[in-house]
Amino acid sequence: MSGRLRSALIIGGQGIRARKLRTFLSMISLFLGVLAVVIVQAGSEIVQRASIADIELQSGKDGTHQMYVGGQDPGALTTALDTVRDRPDAVALSSGKAVIGEPNVTPINPGGSSFDNLGSRPGRVDVICDQTGCYPDPSSQGAPKPNGKAIELRLNAMTGDVRQFKPYRQESGQWLDFASAPSLAPRIVLNKKAAVGFARYQVPAQLHIDGGTSDPTPQIVGVVDDGSYQPEAYVRVDELTNWLPAGGLGSSRGSSLQVLMSPGAADLEQTLRARLVAAGMKAEQININVVQSKQRIESQLALMRWIFLGMAALVLLIGVAGILNVGLATVGERVEEFALRRAVGTPRMLLAGIVLAETLLTGLITAAAAIGASALALRAAPTLAGGRGASYFQDLTFPWQAGVAGVIAGLVAGLLGGAIPAIRAARIPIATVMRA
Amino acid sequence: MTPLIQLTGITKTLKGQSEPRTILAGVDLTVHSGESVAILGRSGSGKSTLLSLIGLFDRPDGGQYLLGDRDITKLSERRSAALRSAEFGFVFQRFFLLKHLTAAQNVAMALVNGQGWRSRRKRKALVLAALEQVGIGHLAKHKPPRLSGGEQQRVAIARALVREPRILLADEPTGALDTETGNLVVDVLRAATERGCGLILVTHDRDHADKMGRVLRLNDGLLAPAPQRVPA
Repeated sequence: MSGRLRSALIIGGQGIRARKLRTFLSMISLFLGVLAVVIVQAGSEIVQRASIADIELQSGKDGTHQMYVGGQDPGALTTALDTVRDRPDAVALSSGKAVIGEPNVTPINPGGSSFDNLGSRPGRVDVICDQTGCYPDPSSQGAPKPNGKAIELRLNAMTGDVRQFKPYRQESGQWLDFASAPSLAPRIVLNKKAAVGFARYQVPAQLHIDGGTSDPTPQIVGVVDDGSYQPEAYVRVDELTNWLPAGGLGSSRGSSLQVLMSPGAADLEQTLRARLVAAGMKAEQININVVQSKQRIESQLALMRWIFLGMAALVLLIGVAGILNVGLATVGERVEEFALRRAVGTPRMLLAGIVLAETLLTGLITAAAAIGASALALRAAPTLAGGRGASYFQDLTFPWQAGVAGVIAGLVAGLLGGAIPAIRAARIPIATVMRA
Repeated sequence: MTPLIQLTGITKTLKGQSEPRTILAGVDLTVHSGESVAILGRSGSGKSTLLSLIGLFDRPDGGQYLLGDRDITKLSERRSAALRSAEFGFVFQRFFLLKHLTAAQNVAMALVNGQGWRSRRKRKALVLAALEQVGIGHLAKHKPPRLSGGEQQRVAIARALVREPRILLADEPTGALDTETGNLVVDVLRAATERGCGLILVTHDRDHADKMGRVLRLNDGLLAPAPQRVPA
């Protein structure tokens, strides 16, 4: 650190200590402005983080190539599974309806609905839900089933670890082991929504899959957060096919096939498309898109952030005016001191530096206070919010970007508020001490 | 021997709202190391203006100003500040001590001025030596409101001496003090010249002026030896 900078900091520090009350009062007006900037930045970071985290769970990481294969063509599914199997850069997911619990009953959550808002069971009719919505299962119409102890969920059979594309958060237990030999009793991982049902209701361990040869006993090995609002479960496709006839997978109504590929798997994409078309699938039934959710969300949030930051900047401006006011008054009071400092050899630039050091230190201290208050508020939020709100705030951490924004806001306010007083201080003539 | 400072034909005219007024009309002054010079004159005669030119607070309109053998008549503000710090010490009528700082911190003000950097330990040693030199080392931690007028002026002198200047400029340093305290302050200033420092004292007090090696009077913008006092 240069001698001038050290001198400015020492003298600036002395100035602040000499006028504690005045400094404190100017800090109060600045505090609200810096706090507004910190809160806006922290809020937008937290929202962005949460949005991106959820969007990645649901849609996949940016850059992931998604292939949707429409219709219930078992041949297409077999082709897709054979093509993708053993490829580390791609995973095929076959999703369909499954019921765990008593057979031939209306499940506790017909249609695989969420356990958070269960109503009365609708008319003892099987309901199928897929991307197009929920509707009665045509095969079960006219054959009412009694209410029973069973949970309906969406079962996703995978050729590999899907978490390389969708970073599911492990909640408890463990994830599926794709390296080991397949188990006869299918190992399944529930999502949080399904886990709620299993924690709330006791159901027999019997897995019913449409078209299955018999009902296996599943092993629940873990729970993940997959961002879904419906009960879902994940299973290795090779453990499921033991219990299905040839071509049975994906043949039920409401089932779907999705292939997730890394950006570098262009060859696989072409091969898969060609094989599917060769297997009799129409080209228009194959849809491919590239996930860009994060980028989309970021651009949407950026606009909101700038709007709110603009409002915060207006509040900050009031703080700047406060510092400017106090700074001008202080320089007016210290004319003799500054003239004397010039007389003993202090250059004009250093005089300006002293005033700026005081306002910048004030801004910095205020920023530290505002950041500390925000971080404490965030930490206290779960206690203050209580109930369901508490769980929302539970895992939130104070974003470092908000801290940086607060420091920058404090320094900018100090610089803007201190610039004019600094120029005035530098212009004070030395002759003031001679005329006094 | 090369003089410490040498002013030749220095002129200064003040340009106010009314007619320009010539304050210095060709001042010649030479001061050697260890020499003390008193300047007498009526109020408004230009004593303080002359001192401000010598102290590089301002520039003369004409003439030549040599510091040693270096011409410093027209220096930039930056170089003037560096020279003020290195070569000059100033004592004013009002002590100009900062009330929120201790005596030691007030003296250290001359060291923490952006002209070179000294460690805290070095600063402390220099400050204590300067305070000891003026006989108030024991008051280092006292703040100005707790000091008497004479003690405050001695703190101001210590501030002027702490960088070991070659020239000490004192502008009516006893003006705010009683006679006894004033004598004490003048003795302290005189003592500084014994270590080779030049002293220019501007004063109204003839008794204090007579303690200096030379007594000059500024009259009509010109500096001339003051007439001898007639013994009472």
